[in-house]
Amino acid sequence: MSHLHIPDGVLPLWLWGPGWGLALIAMLALWRVQRDRPGQRVAYEGALGALMLAAMALEVPLGPVEYHLTLAGPIGVLLGPAGAFQAAFIASALLAFIGHGGLTLIGLNTLLLGTAAALASFAYRLLARRWPGARALAGATLVGHTVSGTAWLLLVLAAARFRVHDLGLETGARLGVLAGLAVPLDAFAVAAETVVAFGMGQFLARVRPDLMPGAAVPEPRELEA
Amino acid sequence: MSVIGRIDLLANAGITPWHRASAITKLVLALGIVGAAVATRSLPLLVALQLVAWALVLSCRMPWRVVVAGASYPLFVATLFMAATWGGAWRPQLALLLRPVTAALVVLWLVGTTPSPDLFAPISRVLPRHLADGLFLTYRALFELLGRIERMARALRMRGAGAGPPARRFTTAGEGLATLVLHGFERSQRLYAVMLLRGYSGRICGCRHWAEVGRDDLWVGAAAAVVAAAIVGLGGRA
Repeated sequence: MSHLHIPDGVLPLWLWGPGWGLALIAMLALWRVQRDRPGQRVAYEGALGALMLAAMALEVPLGPVEYHLTLAGPIGVLLGPAGAFQAAFIASALLAFIGHGGLTLIGLNTLLLGTAAALASFAYRLLARRWPGARALAGATLVGHTVSGTAWLLLVLAAARFRVHDLGLETGARLGVLAGLAVPLDAFAVAAETVVAFGMGQFLARVRPDLMPGAAVPEPRELEA
Repeated sequence: MSVIGRIDLLANAGITPWHRASAITKLVLALGIVGAAVATRSLPLLVALQLVAWALVLSCRMPWRVVVAGASYPLFVATLFMAATWGGAWRPQLALLLRPVTAALVVLWLVGTTPSPDLFAPISRVLPRHLADGLFLTYRALFELLGRIERMARALRMRGAGAGPPARRFTTAGEGLATLVLHGFERSQRLYAVMLLRGYSGRICGCRHWAEVGRDDLWVGAAAAVVAAAIVGLGGRA
């Protein structure tokens, strides 16, 4: 739900055009921030960006349906806001090339994934002061995906409203049904990403706590869990 | 093999004129068709672009499973959107179906006939250095990680990770994915060492034959002429 799987030609220009513009401005600003970072960092970002894409291919069975993860929260925490935003752009571009999202949607998808990642990174810095790694990572993911998921929902509703209005149809009931379907899905997606982030945090805190930025050393109780 | 793996194999092993044509002409043609499909309100033009897209994708000898996978996803999403906004005239609804399928087929043709280094080389010319390098490195790491993630998912299922309450399933999936973070970290260190050995000095140099225009580009030119004629002839009709 942090990613619009909408193909080209469905959303109007006034929605995806500014999305592209904002994403480019953000990319340029971030490029200036991290111009001098070491090449090893570029390789690490490439690896985690690929993990974001590969995780989207992983199907977590959930009864009759399957859920596809994005990992934007954990990747944001591990790479930091600038690196994660860049990874989000690359992931969105590659997804568009394989037919998931559309070329016109790269900007909006970068903003959605990048917002989830960047907010998770900032939230983690605050939460890691009080909580151990796994809980802080889960909390940060919850914050990032809640905001990004809400933005996703608003975008979908805005697109539907535009189309319904464009066709001269009645808006109220249709948008209500759409929102009624999308809100529980969105809430479920946020919960799923949060629990997965907790699992990732548990493992990393046990095996390689140094990969978690500024995390407290795991407590014995957490190690036993 | 995953769909993306099949497309990549086809892009590298294909022998049609489309595969031999330069990346830059195909990129320009694809962007032109997608742009026209997204921008136009003319239904006859959309139908013409749809026919061109099918002709492109069928003539590059793409496996029908990949074509179906590429066309069905946008069709599914567009149908959902159409159902949510059903009513009124049929023309806008038909246009909603044609636009995304045309765009998806053309992009499929582009990535199915162009090896990724050739495709990324012109794109990386307009991207900041780190982004361009990241694009190459991410794509390169993707296939290995896809294989690993498939094996990991299979192993988790065999050990009963698919059973139990959702919270446990997702926590286990998270722990499995964390092993891939470790793998990615270690791999990035090895990869950087290899990059240094190969003379990396802050920019990965992509291939240089993406702009070599040859005889096979005449086919791309012919397709572009058909698209241009369709835009001129049909663009004004409702």
